[in-house]
Amino acid sequence: MSSVTVKIPTPLRTLTYGQAEVKVEGATVGEILRKLDAQFRGFGDRILDDGKNVKRFVNVFVNEDNIRDKQDLDTEVQTGDTISILPSIAGGK
Amino acid sequence: MITIPTSLLRQIYDHTEASYPYECCGLMIGTMGQDKTVHAFRRCKNLNTVRANHRYDMDPLYMLRVEREFESSPWDIIGIYHSHPDHPSRPSQTDTDRGWPDYSYVIISVQQGTVAGAQSWVLDEGQRKFDEEPLITGDSK
Repeated sequence: MSSVTVKIPTPLRTLTYGQAEVKVEGATVGEILRKLDAQFRGFGDRILDDGKNVKRFVNVFVNEDNIRDKQDLDTEVQTGDTISILPSIAGGK
Repeated sequence: MITIPTSLLRQIYDHTEASYPYECCGLMIGTMGQDKTVHAFRRCKNLNTVRANHRYDMDPLYMLRVEREFESSPWDIIGIYHSHPDHPSRPSQTDTDRGWPDYSYVIISVQQGTVAGAQSWVLDEGQRKFDEEPLITGDSK
């Protein structure tokens, strides 16, 4: 079980009562995100599809590694890691 | 309401004009409360090189690095700016589909290579539409 810091982006802070970062324990990114969903109602709906995958327009990094380039939600974490949740920003005329 | 110091807005305009006829994007960093104030901005890479004249995709790794750059400051990423070459500064359907709540989206219309105007928008997530917010320019206090 590892203790990590999860960085919450501005658009999701209404769900975390304004907290910009949260300390969570877990072994994988998926476990940590599911714990956040249990702690903060509606959190999982914003970032997970059926609790199984990260939504297409959300990016999750462990330190500087995008979990899509690793093992997605099965990506393991170590104590002291930082998980950053970032909206995918796109648009155009 | 969002306040952008005149000098910063001019630099953002410079980015949009230099990128013409392609779209460009960047992050606005500052304070967020009932009103927002921009204290810094960072240009970001448009990953959409195939349709760059009418689409932008911000590099997520660069966004992460900007977040890290300011994590020990009292400031946050509070919004995004992007340009609409030869198009009004109103959100498109693509902007609306891909928008996030709480961020300010400043859209800059660039006509024939010169900035023609800018407006700021905030997504009403429930209605899934953008509402305009006042964009105030002036020297920061």
